[in-house]
Amino acid sequence: MGSHRLGGATLFALSARQVTKRFPGVLANDRVDFDLLPGEVHTLLGENGAGKSTLASVLCGLYKPDEGAVLRNGTQVRLTSPRHGLQNGIAMVHQHFRLVDRFTIAENVVLGHRNLPFRLRANDLEDQVAQVAERFGLPLDPRVTVGELSAGQRQRVEIVKALYQGAEILLLDEPTALLAPPEVEKLFETVRAMTQAGKSVVFVSHKLGEVVDISDRVTVMRDGRVTGSVARGEADTRKLAELMVGRDIDLSPRRSRVAAQETLLQLDKVGLTKDGIERIANISLSVRAGEIVGIAGVSGNGQRELAEIVAGLQAPTSGEILINGARVNGIGTRKVREAGLAYVPEDRLGTGLAPSLSIVDNLVLTRDRGFLVDRKSALVEAEAFIKQLEIKTPHAHTATRKLSGGNSQKVLLAREIFAAGDNSRVLVVCSPTRGLDVGAVEAVHKLLDEARSSGKAVLLISEDLDEVLTLADKVLVLYRGSVVHEVAGHEVDVEAVGLAMAGLS
Amino acid sequence: MIIGNFRIELEPRLSSPKWLYLAVPAGSLVFAFIVGGIFLALTGHSPIGTYGSLISHGYTSSKGITNTLGLATPLICTGLAAAFAFRMNLFNIGEEGQMYLGMIGSAWAGIALAGHLPHVLAVPTVLIIGAATGAFWVLLPAILRAKLGTSEIVSTLLLNYVALNLVNYFIYGSRGFFRDPTTSFPQGRGVEETARFHSFGTSNTYPTVIIAVLLAVALYWFMKRSNFGYETSVFADSPNTARYAGMNATKLTLSVLLFSGALAGLAGAMYVVGPAGKVDPGLLQIGLGYAGIVVAALARYNFVAVVLTAILFAGLRVGGASLQISSNPVPIAIAVVLQGSVLLFALGGEIFRRNRLRIRRVQQVSVAS
Repeated sequence: MGSHRLGGATLFALSARQVTKRFPGVLANDRVDFDLLPGEVHTLLGENGAGKSTLASVLCGLYKPDEGAVLRNGTQVRLTSPRHGLQNGIAMVHQHFRLVDRFTIAENVVLGHRNLPFRLRANDLEDQVAQVAERFGLPLDPRVTVGELSAGQRQRVEIVKALYQGAEILLLDEPTALLAPPEVEKLFETVRAMTQAGKSVVFVSHKLGEVVDISDRVTVMRDGRVTGSVARGEADTRKLAELMVGRDIDLSPRRSRVAAQETLLQLDKVGLTKDGIERIANISLSVRAGEIVGIAGVSGNGQRELAEIVAGLQAPTSGEILINGARVNGIGTRKVREAGLAYVPEDRLGTGLAPSLSIVDNLVLTRDRGFLVDRKSALVEAEAFIKQLEIKTPHAHTATRKLSGGNSQKVLLAREIFAAGDNSRVLVVCSPTRGLDVGAVEAVHKLLDEARSSGKAVLLISEDLDEVLTLADKVLVLYRGSVVHEVAGHEVDVEAVGLAMAGLS
Repeated sequence: MIIGNFRIELEPRLSSPKWLYLAVPAGSLVFAFIVGGIFLALTGHSPIGTYGSLISHGYTSSKGITNTLGLATPLICTGLAAAFAFRMNLFNIGEEGQMYLGMIGSAWAGIALAGHLPHVLAVPTVLIIGAATGAFWVLLPAILRAKLGTSEIVSTLLLNYVALNLVNYFIYGSRGFFRDPTTSFPQGRGVEETARFHSFGTSNTYPTVIIAVLLAVALYWFMKRSNFGYETSVFADSPNTARYAGMNATKLTLSVLLFSGALAGLAGAMYVVGPAGKVDPGLLQIGLGYAGIVVAALARYNFVAVVLTAILFAGLRVGGASLQISSNPVPIAIAVVLQGSVLLFALGGEIFRRNRLRIRRVQQVSVAS
């Protein structure tokens, strides 16, 4: 995509010049420069806390920079609000959609639009919305209520909304986080249609995935600064990861190095019907000591229910669950734990950990405590973990909510893998790296790999397909509560798995 | 907010330094006295003279401090009751009614049982039965909350009115067990002498104050160290985490609410074994149950701080009441204004503990492109 040159100088659609933004105790953006060409796809890559979301928020008018300036088509603009940003043709689609579930797509799209006629004619609006949608290859029926849509479709509604309101520049925050592979492909088609119409797209992402592949340029941030800006084809993922993290990162696949042994966890025709809806249908699987079985699937296809059933938080309505050969159906979390299960729930802070309690207190959570709580030995344990797993914390009495996502996940994994002891040999892990930095992802994967090597049976349930493919010795795909695809880890055909995740196999 | 060239902002603190936990309440006390002083000046009283006399009547004179400790005794108990429940996000605001029931239960024990008991057991029995009836009064709201999720705020509050009318009925509405049969004047039947504590000397302070203080210290230790305290703190912080760890929410909810009710009931029982010696409708007038909630909130639900706050509040009451009978009588309302201001400023002061006030010069942005 060509740059527009006027009088020899490149005219950028949008630029940041020396933008600095401070928050209490944090320098979120430190003299950041950023340039976006018309018709360009530009990825803003960085770990959590690198400052990329702050920069995106400054660019769309949500934050005002403390120092520096934002330029639109070469002239400085002082954006006072996202609406003001929109008036300048800049729109942001947030990771968590801001739509009204009970409204139709058309109603959501026109919501907040200032120049609506006093009397709304539903038909006119629907036609307008459909027109915009069609022009950019976004198939949508404007009469459908948003509550019935999948994550991918909701995202399309947000994009149509931005386009309807006249956006020339679209900032997408973690756009592929909630999408199945075929949906990602559709998003990319839309992005291509937009750039052909001269619009620019910024992806804000912490993942070295697909978004990097379709970008014309990638700008990498670390610790509030830009560490590099590379055009397509100039750098591979390894180089980008190094720019992001500041050191060499190993994200190559890890497979079991020992022969899998006896079966420790077995599900036999397990089903769950709740409120008349079948959430889990007839799932049978087994996990042996020394292997990781990965469950892939788009969020909301029964992952949560499956994990809760195994962990004893919900009782299945049919079938059997065996841990170490003993039946554990509906005996409650405590007894399931005694039978040898450790569980890392998807929701780290708020389910796995008590956020306001200290690291020490969170380690005693799953212990047998007696009348008085023994915090002395827990403190020794906590300090050992902090050292061994390089958990960054002021001290062992720090509340877990004050830790970064990666560090609180390390606390949780430490408790579930090591503190649980040898008698606990089955480990159920749900989306363990969601929202984590590349560096933390590497550390978590290393821990899971170690757990496997030490002879644990690991069931990894994750919405992150890359994660499942990196770790699992066996991959199962969950779709609408059923296992629709099963394949050995080293024989995976990514396309077949992607289709299965979308229910198309 | 921008004033002239300056921008005034509240900036969240990453961590609050320890001294602020003392400075903010102390500061709110000072500001409350300033506000009260304005009211005093407006009504033609010297603020300094009035405060001097308030402090002397409430705290520094021997008569004042013993009166204050006497009033503080049940207030400590209701304060502990509120703090205990509120810590687990169970908003028992029925301390008032539970205290009345404690008074009724302990008076019954003092009349019916104490005569049959050895001397050393009489007072403890009366206190325990008072606590048990207080717990009984929160039983229904506790079950509804634990099993059906019914708001305990509404149910405990409404039961306060039931308890209030129950006391009125026993004394004014009927000639039953609790009514003194020897006189036509409506008053409670006295408990056995063995069921009462003697006050210290001629003061209005009873040994129950020692029990209340020891109870606060014991609770502080127990909730910090025991498994029960641990489980309640997990549950209060994150019910999902408690469920994940296999804690029994029903059991915890029930035991916390019942124990809170027992503490409030104990307040009523201490009133019986101490100054009252009978079912005394006088207790209905002084609102020690509701005041306990305020005390607990000011003490940030810390059990030891509850003791100090209760004494502070009781002193304001006692001192405020004495001001009415001075040469230039100050209305009791002033003491109430002071109490209200202390609460208001203490809660408002929280914002300064969590945030830092920043005043910055507005900078002009220069573009270098």
